[in-house]
Amino acid sequence: MSWEEFWIILATCGATMLICRVAPLFLLKGRDLPDGVIRALNLIPPAAFAALVANDILTPGMFSQGIWPAAAIICASLIVVVVAVKTKSLIWCAVSGVASYAVLLLI
Amino acid sequence: MDFKAHMKDAFLAAYPIMLGYVAIGIPCGILCDSIGLGALQVFILSALFYSGAGQFMIPNMQLAGSPLASIIASVSLVNTRQMLYSASLAPECAHAGKLVSFFFAATVTDESYGVSIAKFKEGGWSVDRALMVNLFSQTSWALSNVAGVFVGSLLDIPLPIASFAMTSIFICLLFTQRLTAPNVIAAVAAVIGVYICKALGASGAAIIVGALLGVACALVAMRIAKGRRA
Repeated sequence: MSWEEFWIILATCGATMLICRVAPLFLLKGRDLPDGVIRALNLIPPAAFAALVANDILTPGMFSQGIWPAAAIICASLIVVVVAVKTKSLIWCAVSGVASYAVLLLI
Repeated sequence: MDFKAHMKDAFLAAYPIMLGYVAIGIPCGILCDSIGLGALQVFILSALFYSGAGQFMIPNMQLAGSPLASIIASVSLVNTRQMLYSASLAPECAHAGKLVSFFFAATVTDESYGVSIAKFKEGGWSVDRALMVNLFSQTSWALSNVAGVFVGSLLDIPLPIASFAMTSIFICLLFTQRLTAPNVIAAVAAVIGVYICKALGASGAAIIVGALLGVACALVAMRIAKGRRA
């Protein structure tokens, strides 16, 4: 990739990213928001985290080549769910997730 | 001045993200090196653009021979989900200064959003600590990317396994949400939305569409429940 292409990508993607990151916060910051909007905002964390997890572990047609090793990522996720509920610790979830996924893929 | 104490709070909140960013930042640097990006370019991208998903997509799409315009459009589309985080953090920044709010908003990622929103809901958190969480995470991301450029292919980190560290962090954030009916509906509908988007070949929009569908379904369900009670 040339420096010219690099600057074009940085300027455009950087600008759209900055707008997406900053504009909504400043549009809503300091305003008295109606209850409906507050309710919607409070639903963003569960919806967003579920979407991120689903995006990482679900692929349509993932079992077309057989259940294993495709199901390894689902099994590893279930292990992390148990760790999450028991420990509520991000680091233990990350460590147990990577370790169990690596071991499951060896099977 | 409680700057030092806040910094310690922020570090303790940020270190799981920092370690995760080492695990995926190095492979990202290696990938960027493979399309001829140098350490300086990778550092500038991490400092001014700072997007894990984006910084993987750019070299992958370049390797696949995609034209510049489609790289820009796809990367920008994937990053629209940041608008949801930004909106969701607005009430927490109500009493914070403009400058600190700006830098905080400008450096939010999927992971640091998760950590910050959890800390804000717990209480006893502040925008300056949240900004420090972002900056710790970004420093780890930038340095790991640069390290990836230097080690190149000497180090063979299996990316699917390394990136599962991030998935695990999202799982933890999801399952530490309060177990209320609207939250469960939002989560289930979001999963279905993501799956449908991917099945239709619209994977770039899957996260934001899925999350919006989740919020919408839960709002509708809450309205119906309220109507029944009335």
